[in-house]
Amino acid sequence: MAAINDAGLSRRSFLLGTAGLGTVGALAACGNGGAGGDSTSGGSLSLLLPGDVPPGWDRVLGAVNEKLEADLGFTIAPEFIAWSNYASQSLLKFTAGEDFDTALSARWLNIAQLVESEAIIGLDHAFASGDYPELQATIAQDAFDANRWPDGTVYGLPAVNSAARLHHYTVRADLVDTYAGGSIDSFDQLEQFWYDVHQGEGIPGFVRGGASPWLVLGGPTGVFFPEGWENPSVIPVFFSSDSLFFVPAADAASTGSSDLVPFWEHQPYVDALRRVRQYYEDGIINADMLNIDTATAKGQFTSGGAASVWAITDGTSTSAHLQELTAAVPGASLMNVMPFADGLAARPSQTFQADNMVVLNASGSDNARALQVLDWVSKQENHDLLQYGIEGTDWELVDGDRYRQIGEYANFPGYALSWRVDRERKAADMSDSEDELFTWSQDYSNFERDTFASFIPDLGPVETEHSQITAAIAEFGLPLWAGAKDVDSGLDELKRAMETAGYEKVLEELRTQADAYLAEQA
Amino acid sequence: MEAFTAVSYIGAGLFGLAAIIPFWMVLAGSLTAESALSQRGYSFWPSPFSTAAYAAIFSGTRVWLAYGATLFITVVGTALAVAATSGLAWVISRGLPRLSRGLAVFSYIPMLFSGGLVPLYILVTQMLGLRNSLFAVILPIVVAPFLVFVQVSFFRGIPGEILDSARVDGAGELRIFFQIVLPLSKPVLAVIALFYAVTFWNDWFHALLFISDSNIYPLQLVLHNMISNLSMAQDLAGAGAAPLYQIRLAMTVATIGPILLAYPFAQRYFVKGLTLGATKG
Amino acid sequence: MTGTTEDTRAATPGKLKPTARAARRTPQERGPVGSRRRRGVQWRRKDYGLVILAAPAIVFFLVFAYGPMAGLVVAFQDFNINDGVFGSPWAGLSNFEFFFTSGQMNRILLNTLVLNALFLTATLGAGVLLALMLNEIRGTLLRRGLQSAVFIPYFVSPIVISIFLQAFLAGVGGRGGIVNDALNAFALPSVSWYTEPGPWPWILTIVKVWQLGGYFSVIFLAAITSIPEEVYEAGTIDGATRAQMAWRITLPLLKPTGAVLLLLGVGRIFYGDFGLIYAIVGDNGILFSTTDVIDTYVFRALRTYGDFGTTAAIGLFQSVVGFVLVMIALGVQRRYSKESSVL
Repeated sequence: MAAINDAGLSRRSFLLGTAGLGTVGALAACGNGGAGGDSTSGGSLSLLLPGDVPPGWDRVLGAVNEKLEADLGFTIAPEFIAWSNYASQSLLKFTAGEDFDTALSARWLNIAQLVESEAIIGLDHAFASGDYPELQATIAQDAFDANRWPDGTVYGLPAVNSAARLHHYTVRADLVDTYAGGSIDSFDQLEQFWYDVHQGEGIPGFVRGGASPWLVLGGPTGVFFPEGWENPSVIPVFFSSDSLFFVPAADAASTGSSDLVPFWEHQPYVDALRRVRQYYEDGIINADMLNIDTATAKGQFTSGGAASVWAITDGTSTSAHLQELTAAVPGASLMNVMPFADGLAARPSQTFQADNMVVLNASGSDNARALQVLDWVSKQENHDLLQYGIEGTDWELVDGDRYRQIGEYANFPGYALSWRVDRERKAADMSDSEDELFTWSQDYSNFERDTFASFIPDLGPVETEHSQITAAIAEFGLPLWAGAKDVDSGLDELKRAMETAGYEKVLEELRTQADAYLAEQA
Repeated sequence: MEAFTAVSYIGAGLFGLAAIIPFWMVLAGSLTAESALSQRGYSFWPSPFSTAAYAAIFSGTRVWLAYGATLFITVVGTALAVAATSGLAWVISRGLPRLSRGLAVFSYIPMLFSGGLVPLYILVTQMLGLRNSLFAVILPIVVAPFLVFVQVSFFRGIPGEILDSARVDGAGELRIFFQIVLPLSKPVLAVIALFYAVTFWNDWFHALLFISDSNIYPLQLVLHNMISNLSMAQDLAGAGAAPLYQIRLAMTVATIGPILLAYPFAQRYFVKGLTLGATKG
Repeated sequence: MTGTTEDTRAATPGKLKPTARAARRTPQERGPVGSRRRRGVQWRRKDYGLVILAAPAIVFFLVFAYGPMAGLVVAFQDFNINDGVFGSPWAGLSNFEFFFTSGQMNRILLNTLVLNALFLTATLGAGVLLALMLNEIRGTLLRRGLQSAVFIPYFVSPIVISIFLQAFLAGVGGRGGIVNDALNAFALPSVSWYTEPGPWPWILTIVKVWQLGGYFSVIFLAAITSIPEEVYEAGTIDGATRAQMAWRITLPLLKPTGAVLLLLGVGRIFYGDFGLIYAIVGDNGILFSTTDVIDTYVFRALRTYGDFGTTAAIGLFQSVVGFVLVMIALGVQRRYSKESSVL
């Protein structure tokens, strides 16, 4: 049989393969130390960061570690996890008891669970100890306290670059010149502008990827929420932002009774839902909000395919869009429209609860060192080095204190480590309108402290219902936020699903906890 | 030409077109300027022509390193996988009392029951210490029960007479396996190897779990990060003006390309056999 | 798997030496295809080479599959990171509660079954059909080209599939799309695909066939390859047409392979294809009524309060149901065809 001639080869490769499988154990032992950047190698602190490795990272990390070694005697080894996997992967690492030191967490991630499992440590003592002066100097006590857990402990250091998080708009300024006489000062003007642009240019007024309740159910401002322009004081209360929103009574502080109602009993919210439905039908917003991602929507805006996009007061609206936009649409420019009828005289409510927090792993290799790093990055020069790279190579100072990117290094996720209100530099290309709004939003004294500012409910007692509600909101709520469904029948469906999921029990629990919180505050 | 043959040409041709056209559009899209893509959508011809996405992807060492890691995972993984799978599949297909059946059940259970991610994670990172080793990507998927059974069903087709005559000659099991079974099984070995190669090539999830050193990220993880991460595609080009749509498409081409080149090698084996049945009639 | 077969029955009389037992049987050779079950009748000392052959895979399964299964205990625990897998307090069946009391369960189970049954039959059917058709094509270049072409979709990631599906069904901005352009060309009204749940099981099935038809055709092509030439010779002499040969000779010989693939698919029927469905449907709640499967529901419900115990509980539930279905499928299969049984 001719085939037998080949057998020698087959046998050899087979045995090689089998032997290989056996020796993997030995190889595995080398695997651990083989690659750089591992959590425990050489007095190095491991930090979990969301997003992807910035370009030029090795070079900048080298400079950071050189300085860290000189200042503190150890180095850091950050590990990047893609955004879409960050929540599950960071939780997995906590669950497996890994010894990384810091991570990004928040109420919209899984901080509730980490607290319940005692997987992260309380920070009050360290914050007050005086051992970390830079940290204390750059994080306002108010901002720190607003993130206090029901058990009286703060588990996350806010990593924010403004005091207030206000939803508003980044708008094509060139189109505003053409269609709205150069400025937009009221919601009616904005709406008119959207319709005129749609008419004149054949593009939607607003484009967005992924429906979010904040667009419609403002808190206190929203994108399709005119009430917020007049009266930016309503902030909904919830167990988590992807579940059901409840609205407290306006006089809760004085009566001591939260009187929470589900969002559909708050008329301005229902009006806003009808409005967004109308926009959907009139072509004022993109019809595929539910099924495209943020990057796709952004691409449509920057290629001139829409008149405005969502913005938040984090100082990145202009730099995120301008360069691509002007490349595609020569002569285009951007402005941020502030969502207040009273302009900056408005005093919106804020909870000051941080969207991004740095948490310390209870199983971390060295919590004291982790705090030292957080203190270290709060210093201006260290903060600049980590976030903007090496001065002169990656960025340069312009107009006194602004920065302009000149090298490849960009997109360090400072919101997971080093964002501090007083340390942020503004990008050189930031529009005047964004500058004005951003600067204003950095001052805590410009805002009213919300009645439920540091109210963080404990969802332990209603875990099952909460999961069911979260699932039902995605099914019946998101289409409403996107305007893709008729409001009346859609709300009916939503309510039915909420009843099945037991929202009444959740409401009852939330009321009890909210009232207890009010009693404690009074 | 018979009616069935004609229908076959048309049917296979249509399916082939349905498979090729979207890929062609990916290719054309990856060469179309970003602004045209996001405004007009996809077209069959790149206009205006732009190689910005490929320039962005292949600048720097990142994608090249990723090719290296992926190649290692695919080659080593496939070799180990084919060896382990054929051995087991042969024993199962031998139809030995108790042993074969027991092994079949033993191999099938993991298709149904899994301990979930957390135990696997603890096993690989803490007990085996494979963190940041490419073997952490290979080993957890080195035997696919599905392919074990595919191979079993093929091994069972080997004519018993040949084996019996070898047995009468006093050949041991190892010799029968290496000198008779394997040479007779080239088509299925090629298929199994191909499927494993594709699995290893496409895997990004185990790399996500176990590889934190970005210098040894495999290609698919780089792609995954790029198309699932909001800021990711910008990072690649640095200045914040990278072509988002285009890069997603270009990365698809970059990841499909090499394995498509490997496909004809595997194909050679089963096409040869194929002609026997097909040239009749 | 637990059912008694001839093999195990033969093995029950105790620890007979294999050779002694083998003596009671005669090697039945029923031709090349039919000779499966009784081939291994002799079990001699030198046969322990078999153990060497199987050992690597056995070790793999023990370490990477069976080892981690110990973690399934958390399905019955109120899992807590601090107490770990074996230290967390017992919670009875409370982890199963959220799914079974959701009021959505019936719909989700039905979706899961319907979608997976559609996917399984459509992809296998397409694979067989495609293999038969590819087998008819003579020109080497054309055949090779087509074989490579049909395999391509397997490499396209779900995210890219989703981007393209949007271009086809909705277009830029969500108000057009190639399909609607075609409909309009025939004076038919546009369909707002992404707000119509009705057609989605079929759309997903088409995507699945597109993605996996070529993949399965490779398996069936390899099976066709291993059919000996002589089998066809008889047909040629009888003057059978190509269609008759494909139908009467090739197709029946593909049955065992098909049966194996089907059986393997049945066991996983309670796992939705999360990657694909989530990439395409995502958070588009309007489509959930026809596309929501167990995996997508659980993912959504536990996104912000994901709990290891609950996840494990759902996984265990899916496994147990899969196990039961496989037992049933095996029973049915045994009844109709002993030869094609894998287990």
